[in-house]
Amino acid sequence: MILDMARARTTADAFNAIAEPHRREILTLLKGRERVVSDIADAMGMNQPAVSKHLRVLREVGLVYVHPEGKQRRYGLDARGLEPVHGWTGGFDEYWSESLERLNTYVKKRQREEER
Amino acid sequence: MTPDTALSDRELMVSRLIEGPRDVVFEAFTEVQHLSRWWGPKGFTTTTRTFEFSEGGVWEFTMHGPDGSDYPEWIQWMEIRPPEVIVLRHGEGPDDPEQFSSTFIFEERTDGTRVTLRSEFKTKALRDRAAEEYGAIEGANQTLDSLATYVTGRSERPNE
Repeated sequence: MILDMARARTTADAFNAIAEPHRREILTLLKGRERVVSDIADAMGMNQPAVSKHLRVLREVGLVYVHPEGKQRRYGLDARGLEPVHGWTGGFDEYWSESLERLNTYVKKRQREEER
Repeated sequence: MTPDTALSDRELMVSRLIEGPRDVVFEAFTEVQHLSRWWGPKGFTTTTRTFEFSEGGVWEFTMHGPDGSDYPEWIQWMEIRPPEVIVLRHGEGPDDPEQFSSTFIFEERTDGTRVTLRSEFKTKALRDRAAEEYGAIEGANQTLDSLATYVTGRSERPNE
């Protein structure tokens, strides 16, 4: 479909994968501990097939790993998959834009104090 | 150098209007009590060990990220021309081979002061890296913030 071609696939990269709020919620749930699908589904109030679908997308872009343990499959956050996002948010431009934003706030505050 | 000189492929530039007179804006760069209030991205704090605002003087400090990580910082002022220009060398220490040079330009505008920062790196590769991961900070989105923070604390994953 033309519409589908125009839009980037959710599995294209980490950016597209985390554009979906439920998938970000899953990543947050997986932070620091592995979980099984039913556990994630309970925590989110979603059904298991829907959660499995999101987990598949997250696995394809390398944000989540699966760790089979007996009959269970435990999912965990693979933080290395976030490195492109981490890098993107942490560049020179961002750093200095935020610093200068703080400078602006500070300069305005000092002027208000002087006026008093 | 003016803010409008064309950028080379070893430079990065950022500019914004600060809503205040030039002498007040310039002053915010001259003392630790001011610098510590704004230097660094949102959520960052600084601890200063040495500070002497003069040409050849040094500012040695640690930047503390919101995720608890520390970044050693070393700055030496090369040129101070109040209230127009500050040129400094920036690195992790005096012997840091990846030191770079930064020029702050302060221009009067009717509605405030335009502050332009131009940083020049030793190589294009260093410039490109700084463009992508300067300081390694988090973005605005809170979820991404906490997740990105987690990246730095997690270097290995279990065997699959």
